[in-house]
Amino acid sequence: MTRPSEDAPALSNVAYDELVVDERFGPFEEPVSAALAGRLAGPIGAAADVRLAPPAVFPVLFLRALRRAMGGIPSGSILAKQELEFHAQLPVDRDVAITTWVGAKEVRRERPFVTIEFDVRDARSDARIVTGRKIIVWPTGPGEETS
Amino acid sequence: MSAARGAFPTVTDTVTQDNIDAYAELSGDHNPLHVDPAAAAASEFGGIIAHGPIALHAFFRAATEWLGVEALPAGTEVKVTYRAPTRPGDSVGCELLALDGDVVEAACVKPDGSTVVSVRAVLPG
Repeated sequence: MTRPSEDAPALSNVAYDELVVDERFGPFEEPVSAALAGRLAGPIGAAADVRLAPPAVFPVLFLRALRRAMGGIPSGSILAKQELEFHAQLPVDRDVAITTWVGAKEVRRERPFVTIEFDVRDARSDARIVTGRKIIVWPTGPGEETS
Repeated sequence: MSAARGAFPTVTDTVTQDNIDAYAELSGDHNPLHVDPAAAAASEFGGIIAHGPIALHAFFRAATEWLGVEALPAGTEVKVTYRAPTRPGDSVGCELLALDGDVVEAACVKPDGSTVVSVRAVLPG
């Protein structure tokens, strides 16, 4: 398992053609501190005291995993849909292990859609906490190079 | 659905550059569309837009308040469609559209009535 890295690239430059369906990235270990969870419980960024991770923590973890897997969401992409399934509550000050992979890629109405899947588990017990996916309109399509 | 539940609450968030910057810091997503005014101005959006999940935040706050919990319980499912970007200064309120047992349909809307996020969720009580 790889540890958090602050020097990962900030923006993806991965072309649609480079994405491989079902190729796994991770698991990436990420801490869910009380401070992180508290800043996502009420108005974003405002500190609050919480004992459990509020739901807004998980899209943030998805983005952190994406950043570590492929440098993040590419510039010019559009987030179209997001789905989350909650399997267990997560106490704060725990580490989670996030695995991510491309679940599907397809062109619909001349637009390239990429589904990226996430599996978030308690790093200590391996209990599944949240699963989900982002469906993104990718900035490049088949046969197109990144800028 | 639990009989203890009251009316689905109305929660409104105001999008600010401060909370966009906070979200960028927390998520590591420093896309120039969110944090670089010059780059965002030159984009198709013509200015800063917020990270997508910021527009969803009012729904998460309303859902946890409605259930009286900090964390959504096992069995919760949330499906989100992002329909329009939000920008600093936008007010985004979560409105209940329909409720059928544990199934909630909601929308995050701006004061002009335009929907930025549509949500269908199962919120077990």
